[in-house]
Amino acid sequence: MASVAHALTGGLRAVGGAGESVARHAGEIAQLAWQSVQATFRGQVAFRDFIIQAYAMGVESLPLVLVTAILSGVVTSQQGGYQFTGSIPLYVLGSVVTNGVVLELGPVMTAIVFIGRVGARITAEVGTMQVSEQIDAIYSLGRDPVRMLAAPRILAGMLAMPFLVGLANGVGAMAGMVAARSTIGLGYQSFLYGARLFWHSYDLFYSLMKAEMFGFIIPLISVHMGLLTRGGAEGVGRATTSSVVFMIIAVLVADALFPPLFLN
Amino acid sequence: MIEYRDIYKAFDAPVLAGVSLTVPDGETLAIVGPSGTGKSVLLKTTIGLIVPDRGDVLIDGESVFSSRPGVLQEIRQKAGYVFQNAALFDSFNVYENVALGIQEHEAKRLGQREVARRVWHALEDVNLDPRAVLPKLPSELSGGMRKRVGLARAIVGRPQILLYDEPVTGLDPVNAAAVDRLIEEITEKTHVTSIIVTHDIEGALSLCDRIGLLEGGKLRFIGTPAEFRRSDEPLVRAFADRQAAALTAMRSERGSRRSRRTTDLESTGRPS
Repeated sequence: MASVAHALTGGLRAVGGAGESVARHAGEIAQLAWQSVQATFRGQVAFRDFIIQAYAMGVESLPLVLVTAILSGVVTSQQGGYQFTGSIPLYVLGSVVTNGVVLELGPVMTAIVFIGRVGARITAEVGTMQVSEQIDAIYSLGRDPVRMLAAPRILAGMLAMPFLVGLANGVGAMAGMVAARSTIGLGYQSFLYGARLFWHSYDLFYSLMKAEMFGFIIPLISVHMGLLTRGGAEGVGRATTSSVVFMIIAVLVADALFPPLFLN
Repeated sequence: MIEYRDIYKAFDAPVLAGVSLTVPDGETLAIVGPSGTGKSVLLKTTIGLIVPDRGDVLIDGESVFSSRPGVLQEIRQKAGYVFQNAALFDSFNVYENVALGIQEHEAKRLGQREVARRVWHALEDVNLDPRAVLPKLPSELSGGMRKRVGLARAIVGRPQILLYDEPVTGLDPVNAAAVDRLIEEITEKTHVTSIIVTHDIEGALSLCDRIGLLEGGKLRFIGTPAEFRRSDEPLVRAFADRQAAALTAMRSERGSRRSRRTTDLESTGRPS
């Protein structure tokens, strides 16, 4: 009986601890977001920093994003073709591929690439600055790390992600169209007919809304986790791993909230 | 004047356990003590980089942790902080690193030409050739040069207070002596209030007006260098003896390494 009570208390304590940790992170992230918004609207973000970050996030991420988009479009097209052959009209595949890429695969796969390429880099960079006292040095010089580090990265993420997702959507759908022709012989005209049949312009807006949201939360979480880094090189490694896990969960949770909120 | 009032701070374990201390204007105070006794933590509370669990720090009568908006900013503008490993920004060149503080607060008032002039003079004051180092990134500088750039960054804003966190740690004896000399010159020239946290007891005794020993989270001794040398307090003696023994061991280790190298060279004609 005592051991059951002990296990129960231990379980409750673990749940309570996890809840406290989530609440603390949420509070700190909200504060960081608010301070970044304030810095932006007060015009305190250095344009040069913003441009450097936007280039690193947008242009340098482009090759990997495009490869991921092409593969997503090809795989969706091939699997759809396999399922539809002999059951429903093949031109429907045009709609399935286009909507699959625009509504889901484009934003989410781009976000996953963005997390690995940009989010992890930001956490490692800010974490290294934290453990080497560069963040303390920023404070000691009367400057604000939110203005110097967080705000330019968040703004750059919000600019780069819609740009990347827009391109990923287009390239992914085209790759799907080419794959449909080469694997199940569906002509371009039929594919485009199917794509237009169920197309709503709102879908693209929805996709870019997701991109904007992911572009906001990925740099935000990565800077937050970087600022929490403690304990030298090992600490930077730990923080980067935790940050990637945290960002993936946040993106998937946000993605799951989008359909009930914005698709009716 | 800097006043520390009953400072308590704990992380996983207590680090500072009630430190009270007053540093008058223009004084150079050295704080020595074994590793992990909270010397750097105490120094960081001075400009609010670490918030104590209890107690207060007052600078010219104003609490560093006051709720008055802008007070921390004003206090940080009065102080220059020299970090243990210089803490230069990797992606900024030397000019941008040194100018960063005054770019934020004084560039509009001074103009870019005056900012550049001040950066130039600050680098000259720390015996660096501005023409050679200004465009360089921190990764292109030696450890000693990085320390000097860190020092230039601290003095460029003409602070009233200079805080040094282990200014000679990681430097060879020649560079360490050079940095000690620089600190002495800057103190004599500017008459700033200085607090130096260090392991280098000999350097500290030669530089400071008073020396404090921090051990076990408490200030165990505070007095002039002469009083420190004369003191027969067991903690002071034990610390001074440990430091002297460590210095002797280091010198003898270096000596035996040198003689081993000489023997190797004589027997093989090649360094080992």
